[in-house]
Amino acid sequence: MHLIREIFKSQNFVIGFVIFTIIFLSTIILPFFLKGDPLEIVGGLFYKPGTYINVSDTIEAKKYELKIDTLSNKISSLITQKDQDLMREWLVKYCNTVSEEEVKVAQHPMELVELWLKHYDPNIKMEGTTIAYRKSLSRLHQKIEKIFSDEGYVIAEKNSETGELAIVQELANNSYVHMSEIPNKRTFILGTDNFGRDVFTELISAIWNSIKIGFVAGSVATLIGLVVGLLAGYVGGMVDDILTFITNLLTVIPSFIILILISVSLGGKGNDIMTTALVIGITAWPWTARSVRAQTLSLKNRDHVNLSKLSGHSLVRIIIRDILPYVASYVTMAYILQVASAILAEAQLSMLGLGPRTTEIATLGLMLRWAIQFQAPLSGAWWAFIPVILSIALITFSLNLMNTGLDQVFNPQLRQN
Amino acid sequence: MGKTILKVKDLRTKYVTRYKESVYAVDGVSLELEEGKSLGIAGESGCGKSTLALSLMGYYFTPLHYISGTIEIDGKIVTDMKPDDVRKNILGTEIAYIPQAAMNALNPTQKIINFIEDVVRAHYPKKSKKDIYDLACERFESLNLSREILGKYPVELSGGMKQRTVIAISTILSPKVLIADEPTSALDVSSQKVVIKMLKNLMEREIVKSMIFITHELPLLYNVTDDIMVMYAGQIVEKGTAEEVVFDPLHPYSKALMNSMIVPEAGMKDVKLTPIPGVPPSLKNPPPGCRFAERCKHASSTCKTEKIPEVYTEDGRMYRCLLTRDQLKGGKE
Amino acid sequence: MKGFRKYLARKIGWYVITFVIALVLNFLLPRLIPGNPVARIASGAIEGLTDRSAIQAVIDEYKRLFGLDKPIHVQFIVYIKNLLRGDLGTSFNFYPRKVSEVIASAVGWTIALQLPAILVGWILGNLLGAIAGYVRGVFDKAILPLFLFISNIPAFGMAIMLLLIFGVYLGILPTSGGYGFDLIPSLTPEFIMSVIEHYQLPFWSIVLIMIGGQAIGMRSMSIYELNSDYVKYSRFLGIKDRIIVKYVFRNAVLPQITGLILSLGTMVGGALVAETIFSYPGLGTRMLSAITGQDYPLISGCTLIITIGVLLANLVLEILYGLLDPRIRAVQED
Repeated sequence: MHLIREIFKSQNFVIGFVIFTIIFLSTIILPFFLKGDPLEIVGGLFYKPGTYINVSDTIEAKKYELKIDTLSNKISSLITQKDQDLMREWLVKYCNTVSEEEVKVAQHPMELVELWLKHYDPNIKMEGTTIAYRKSLSRLHQKIEKIFSDEGYVIAEKNSETGELAIVQELANNSYVHMSEIPNKRTFILGTDNFGRDVFTELISAIWNSIKIGFVAGSVATLIGLVVGLLAGYVGGMVDDILTFITNLLTVIPSFIILILISVSLGGKGNDIMTTALVIGITAWPWTARSVRAQTLSLKNRDHVNLSKLSGHSLVRIIIRDILPYVASYVTMAYILQVASAILAEAQLSMLGLGPRTTEIATLGLMLRWAIQFQAPLSGAWWAFIPVILSIALITFSLNLMNTGLDQVFNPQLRQN
Repeated sequence: MGKTILKVKDLRTKYVTRYKESVYAVDGVSLELEEGKSLGIAGESGCGKSTLALSLMGYYFTPLHYISGTIEIDGKIVTDMKPDDVRKNILGTEIAYIPQAAMNALNPTQKIINFIEDVVRAHYPKKSKKDIYDLACERFESLNLSREILGKYPVELSGGMKQRTVIAISTILSPKVLIADEPTSALDVSSQKVVIKMLKNLMEREIVKSMIFITHELPLLYNVTDDIMVMYAGQIVEKGTAEEVVFDPLHPYSKALMNSMIVPEAGMKDVKLTPIPGVPPSLKNPPPGCRFAERCKHASSTCKTEKIPEVYTEDGRMYRCLLTRDQLKGGKE
Repeated sequence: MKGFRKYLARKIGWYVITFVIALVLNFLLPRLIPGNPVARIASGAIEGLTDRSAIQAVIDEYKRLFGLDKPIHVQFIVYIKNLLRGDLGTSFNFYPRKVSEVIASAVGWTIALQLPAILVGWILGNLLGAIAGYVRGVFDKAILPLFLFISNIPAFGMAIMLLLIFGVYLGILPTSGGYGFDLIPSLTPEFIMSVIEHYQLPFWSIVLIMIGGQAIGMRSMSIYELNSDYVKYSRFLGIKDRIIVKYVFRNAVLPQITGLILSLGTMVGGALVAETIFSYPGLGTRMLSAITGQDYPLISGCTLIITIGVLLANLVLEILYGLLDPRIRAVQED
């Protein structure tokens, strides 16, 4: 127990542990608050993060008049850079009532627009311009005039029989609604993905699944590695030679190649989570086996082991009672690292299309795959993948920190100045 | 009395741990070493003797820090010199150090001869490779080390050979003073004998003029050094000739130390071993009075609060205690 | 040098055996596909046919074409024979193009990208790590945590982020392909410039990841070595720090090379996925489309080539290590 206290004194371990626990607990607790199926399609292709308010609700809701200037906000958001460039170009090139200096000085869109309204004249000759160009100028002018007019909009309802429009409401420019009086609104903290799913709920679910895979794969890998390492290290001789040979083999042959080959051979469709985890675990054990074997070798000739041997204890009993406890620290560290690398491996596999291949489950790798397949980066829909990448990085980071912390506790000579 | 080759006055140094705490490992050490004589320093682990060994070199770098005191080697006041000066002209040429656990003291990826070249060239940059090789061969062979060692890597040498190689390298520039820090602690008994023989050989042939031998085995010093100093908790608590300290220790600690060790001699069969109860005080915050007071049978309250001076006897011995010699002799366990 | 020759012989022997086993695995694993792959493959050609015998004829034809009608050990012998001739089979999706042809065009791109990227990343990373280990101070407080975090971002993660920042937001670098879509491969300066442009993002993704990982490791290694006994001893013998630093980094680099040997497989894997992000015309993209299209011969061919590549690279590194670490030669001699 003193050991556990030591572990929690380590700065690295604590930070890593805290981060990981926060993430882990969130994936368990948050789903209770976030109602709804994470894979339910609620929106459209890559909707931005933010709050979406039902428009007909706003029309039906109670209106409040606010004496706030709506003009400059409208100008700032509705007049694009292109519009501004167009205005500047026309003012400088074709307008003869304004100097270039004045145009330069008018930096703010508002100032530019005022300048435009003062000087725009559609009748000025514009040599060598296309009809399309002139039309775009007049469209722009109309847009600006509309913004400046005090007229609001009218809401009309269509009579289902006659098809006639009858005005039911007039919307002034300065009428506002209160958010709490709008019954239908939805906030997407992280927007929607390519399928129209809420990225945030999906992410929580994906993290949970990926961590699950990590734990399972990590357990499998550590278990196999432990057994192989113990046997190879303790029994020695032919057994050691064979096991070490296999271990080295699988270390040098890239594990992802074997992963790919196995995944492919399992058939293209419908790998479920457990299968993926198993496959990853089966290819990841060599690394642990090495470490365990090295430890076992150094323990083999310790006095207490020799004592047990002399007392005639069985092989299994010696391994479990005398060697395992000392190897435990290495195994724990190896396990943590295996979990981290399994999560990464799943992501890589899924990105290639070899992971859990269902549209009923989300994992971190799958979310990335969908994002790439549907061109999220090119669409600028950063919310569909940046949070995923950050999650992967944070999870592996926290696990690695915990491991470093444990390392420093178990191997004091590694504590650095 | 021969020439004093090493004079240390009230040396204080500390080292700073990774947790930024200061450990005052050498807290007021004075000694004088004559040419041709050897001095043994004995003490338990943690008393500061290894730090003392390094401090005597006069070259300080993190985590070892110099606080105060003077070191004079063959007339040169090392503590007044600039570090680069010390590095070039004192280290290796005037005073040299043999580290504990020589196994790790050699760069694993460097041939012995290449290392020796670097050592020599650090002080005599112009020496040619051939000259260095000749010097190394000659020196090694005169110390009963095969010249083939020069072409090998440390991994190819046994523990004992490595230790002897390190001794040869440390003395290759014939320093006046040699400090050996537990040179035999990591070796088996037969290797220990060889190493001690080698060290004595170095002195007899005057390759080094004087030697300081540091160990935790006090009885070992009887056969090796002329004088002995006993160190406890950063301070020297007794000084005298080897004969005097081993067979007639004055300070309660020296006495306890001798009583707690097995010396293979006649009459030892009936002597009971008594370990010293308690632990040494922490050197991060040394107590104001006698540092041995907590574990001393003679201790009184004044011992714990008053600063204990060094007491010099008429026959040239020193001990650090408030009691007189007779009082100390009286209280036998 | 006798010791080294022994080392060399052992290493080469070992890698040959490993290669043979990799070959067998490469052959065996995909063929353990449950169910009838042929039906799946031929489904495209069968579509529309209702006559049972016609469907069977098509399936039989495909079976014959892909050698799936013979028992497995015979298939293996055929496989080896073909391999020795450089024939990796015929691609399903690119039928009738041969797999070797499809791969050949991609291999060059991958090597041109990954070899320099991994090398540059490794060298830069270790350099930075060494400096950080020696200088400490500011480095440790500010840069270390940053690098630590970066090293945990997977290669494809870095690729996507760079794509987003430089390709989309800043728009200064192209986002896909190996060269402009409108260009035909030729040795014109225009083409070469386009290639270099398209090379940047994939290249730097890999480099940055390697730097992150290596720097951390090298820094730890350097600190460890700088605190070792031989450093202390050398200093007390009067040797200048400048020379001692040389010892230290020589010793610290060795485990880094070993680390590279062990992790090369993983690195390459990550780099291949990074390639797919950019649709870079290398093996990664090839393999991705092969997997998507269930083109087994192509998948098999790709994995084989990648394995050969990694094994070769590992062998080279092991030989290099043997040359650099004198202890290897010394130990072998007895």
